[in-house]
Amino acid sequence: MSNTPETLLKVDHLCQYFGFTRAVDDVSFEIKKGEVFGLVGESGCGKTTTGRSIIKLYNITSGNIYYKGIRIGAGMKSYKDDIERAKNEYKEKVANATPEEAQRLKAELDAYVADRKKAMNEAKRDLKECDKAYSAQQVAEVNAKYEPLMNNANPELVQEYRNELRKAKRARLSSQIQMIFQDPIASLDPRMTVREIIAEGLIIRGERNKKVIDEKVFEMLERVGLVREHADRYPHEFSGGQRQRIGVARAIIMNPELIIADEPVSALDVSIQAQVINLLNELREEMGLTILFIAHDLSVVKYFSDRIGVMYFGKMVELATSDELFAHPTHPYTKSLLSAIPLPDPVYEKNRKRIAYDPLVEHDYSVDKPTFREITPGHFVSCNDEEFARYQAELN
Amino acid sequence: MENKLHVKDLTISFRTSNGKVQAVRGINFDLAKGETLAIVGESGSGKSVTSKAILGILAGNSILEGGEIIYDGQDLLKITEDEFHKIRGDKIAMIFQDPMSSLNPIVKIGKQLTEAMILKGKARQRESKEIFNKYLKQLNRRMVEALANGDSAKAAELTKKCNDFNKFEYKHLELEGAYNVARHAAEEASTEIASILFEIEKNALHDGIYRIKQVKEKAKDSINPWVVSDRAEELLAQVNGWVSEDATDDPAKLAAMKNALKRSTIVKGLKGRTSFEYTVAALTKIKEILDEALTLKQPNFFAMGYYLTFSGEKEAPKMASIPELNTYLRGYLDDHFMLSFIADAKEALIYSAQVCKKEMKEAVDCLRMYRGVFENENLDKKAAYDAHKAIAKEVMEALDPMSTTKDSLVYTFGSGMKTEIDKYFNGIVKNAAETARYDKQKAAYDALVAKGKTPDGEVVPASLTDLEFVRNTILHQIDRMIAHCEGLVAATETRDYDAETVALIDFLKSNASGVVNKVTKSVAKAKAIKLMEEVGISEPRKRYNQYPFEFSGGMRQRIVIAIALAADPDILICDEPTTALDVTIQSKILELINRLKEERNLSIIFITHDLGVVANMADRIAVMYAGKIVEYGTSEDIFYRAAHPYTWALLSSMPDLDTNEKLDAIPGTPPNMIYPPVGDAFAARNKYAMKIDFERQPPMFQISETHHAATWLLHPDAPKVDPPKIITDRIARMKAKRGDKE
Repeated sequence: MSNTPETLLKVDHLCQYFGFTRAVDDVSFEIKKGEVFGLVGESGCGKTTTGRSIIKLYNITSGNIYYKGIRIGAGMKSYKDDIERAKNEYKEKVANATPEEAQRLKAELDAYVADRKKAMNEAKRDLKECDKAYSAQQVAEVNAKYEPLMNNANPELVQEYRNELRKAKRARLSSQIQMIFQDPIASLDPRMTVREIIAEGLIIRGERNKKVIDEKVFEMLERVGLVREHADRYPHEFSGGQRQRIGVARAIIMNPELIIADEPVSALDVSIQAQVINLLNELREEMGLTILFIAHDLSVVKYFSDRIGVMYFGKMVELATSDELFAHPTHPYTKSLLSAIPLPDPVYEKNRKRIAYDPLVEHDYSVDKPTFREITPGHFVSCNDEEFARYQAELN
Repeated sequence: MENKLHVKDLTISFRTSNGKVQAVRGINFDLAKGETLAIVGESGSGKSVTSKAILGILAGNSILEGGEIIYDGQDLLKITEDEFHKIRGDKIAMIFQDPMSSLNPIVKIGKQLTEAMILKGKARQRESKEIFNKYLKQLNRRMVEALANGDSAKAAELTKKCNDFNKFEYKHLELEGAYNVARHAAEEASTEIASILFEIEKNALHDGIYRIKQVKEKAKDSINPWVVSDRAEELLAQVNGWVSEDATDDPAKLAAMKNALKRSTIVKGLKGRTSFEYTVAALTKIKEILDEALTLKQPNFFAMGYYLTFSGEKEAPKMASIPELNTYLRGYLDDHFMLSFIADAKEALIYSAQVCKKEMKEAVDCLRMYRGVFENENLDKKAAYDAHKAIAKEVMEALDPMSTTKDSLVYTFGSGMKTEIDKYFNGIVKNAAETARYDKQKAAYDALVAKGKTPDGEVVPASLTDLEFVRNTILHQIDRMIAHCEGLVAATETRDYDAETVALIDFLKSNASGVVNKVTKSVAKAKAIKLMEEVGISEPRKRYNQYPFEFSGGMRQRIVIAIALAADPDILICDEPTTALDVTIQSKILELINRLKEERNLSIIFITHDLGVVANMADRIAVMYAGKIVEYGTSEDIFYRAAHPYTWALLSSMPDLDTNEKLDAIPGTPPNMIYPPVGDAFAARNKYAMKIDFERQPPMFQISETHHAATWLLHPDAPKVDPPKIITDRIARMKAKRGDKE
């Protein structure tokens, strides 16, 4: 996996807790440039929360998110936990230790705490600086481009330089990640015209030239299969499929590299679903998009994704390429999930048996806790030692 | 197979500010008993409107243009709202798409499940009382008419018989009521003890003291001569003595122990102590006694009621076993009362049937006579209403008062016909007004146009009543009535009076029990918990007291299904029941619906936009587009031999697990149903469309006995078109896959 294309997004031990609810618990995966990564699981398993955490709609509890190698998200809980644990251990040890030993332990503790705190501060600084660094880089690029031309500049060029500079200053790394939401009705402001909805991102990032904005909006509308005339209408004048196209146009106008599509077709009729899926497929080829595709309809995910991660109650239980996952499902939950897919074949359907999944029956994790391990190259399963051996035997 | 529901030429439109939207345009289908019919189509195809019409819950701006929905011999489009109350929910139930919006968020699940049961129970109690008294009186009257021949002594004897029946029937219910309460208590206590013991074993007992107390009460309630009688003392000893055994002689120790029991909601801390051991032993013992009691057979209370009322004995005779007792009581009843009563009742029935036959013939004559009034093209108002009055009277008189099943066709005939006549004469007035309005507005509009202006808005076309159509409907009603009456007259010769007598007496018995059997809160709760178990909700007792928000989506949908099943309906309409749920839950709910269908022999109408879901469920599938059924057949017909381009498009627009090629999306959107296309509604989005598709609507072509499709492609002169490759490929692939497995 290391010499394949560049890793665009890396999610590293992501945890997202809401009070006592562990919505996402220790999830790690990578998304390569240009691929479609599918995330499946039943409702409430944390797949949407994962997507939203990546785009920083939530402050993550712990773990790191790297985009193009730059840390864009980090949670502090793991550092704090480390310090807490070290302190407790110290207290236990120091209770029956000689004074010299106690001194040594104290020193050790101090060093450890200082180290953790440093790491924590680093993370905090990274979060603060990542956008700044990115926009500084953009500004430098613009300067490099225009400064040589400034000697005998006409007013128009000066104006253009200013525009570009402003946009560069306002650039954010996170605008390269865009999201398409599930509900095409709720995610569009009913009081804004389609033009306003689509252009909003551009304006926030500093574009002021009306002509440029209009041009871009029209281009996007045509790209998603709508026409220019639609720009001055309101969302309620569109059908469900067309609204979802507006949502797509809004996402791609920022020229993103990564799109998080959160159940983009679940609310649509079957015939319209196909239109939207085909559209996403075309855009992906044209724009070289990378997509994190979140859905519960396995047939659609299988059709659309290169690799698929299966989530169950906040944990990633299996991750593999989509062909591998459907050919050799290994984790019992994946098997259960696949057995529930309805197929358009009555004879097969009447004999289909759904496999039930009960974690208490399937696993004995009382002694040996499960970890996320690579069973065959590129195929990861959450399992413990005993299961690891068993799954490997199964696959071979 | 028996047909439960028959929909014929159903046409519905909606009045909107932009004009009339034709939502359903003449659809036909029927539903057999125990069958699942799936209606598949895009949103706006009219599938939900159809289901709402069946339930009589169409929106206020709907117009029923025509057609009929026949259920149980009556046309659901013609009956009154009061009559619909008895059908909606009771006979035809519905599950909606979004379970959260069909549950009340601030009322506990238990209340929502039992509310209707209790309300309906009260209404039924009243109704049963009326029916029982009415029928017994009728039976008495007919008996006297048929047998007494003016002999007053004989008449008095017959009347006494009926009164006796009334008397001991009451005793029967008293006994059975008490028995049911006790047996129910025993059942509940037994299951509760089982769960307490289980939880103690798992060290997870919650509310221990409270629950054990409740079980004690329940166990006491189960003492009854026919449930727990021989071992009643033993049971009471266990119930009352479960703490005091360990009391030793030390009151302080006892108090401490009791306190410990009270304080700990989890009995964990009690393990090892004698009082705890004793509690477990006592519970086990109680359970054993109850379980033994539950294996006993139910005595024949009907016969026993007679015995206790008329034999002069205070108690039932002592017998070795309940079956023996039953034989004895049955014999006693038959010898002293029942056989002669049945014979008399049969005579009364035969007599009644003869009388009715005569009246029915008169009714047919009357119908024939007045039919002419409605054949006239311009109806005379007075003549029409007079004719209706006369006909309705004759037909109602011809109803057999002894018949236990309501002949709803006859019953609703009068009101149905009156509605149509009203419609006709109101139509005459309204049509004139509408035409005048349209002419006036149109003239104003045209004047504006002539001036070269573009007026905003359009002139709403006149909505006219088709008088000819209404008149034909009336004629059709009369013809159907004539056929129905003649059928009844012909059937009198072949009726099985023995069976009918038994049915009549059973009917009286069941109504009598309806009077006494109150649906109390606890009965409703027991029923609700049973239902919750049936639909697969674990820990129903705990769940009973929770609010809807404490349930997950799948569980909520199960509750909605349980509510729908509470009244034991014949037909269940599922309107997109799994669209809001994910794959695993969807699969579970579909399995549940399938299982319930098998168990209860339900007929199901399953509405969805996802063909993939119905492969598992449906026996037959109807594909709807723009208010019409474009193809219907068995699910094999639709999935393997689909013939309509729209079905092809639906099938090829959804990916399955092996699809790699580009999906065939259906281009465009469904047509605007205010101005439906002249030709095939799908033509504009159809890549196989021919010229004729834009000009004329295709008729239904029959492909095989079960398979029909409305597309010009099936016309003998049409060019041969193969289904899209993506479908044929898939079918071949599926076949290969199945071949591997078999």
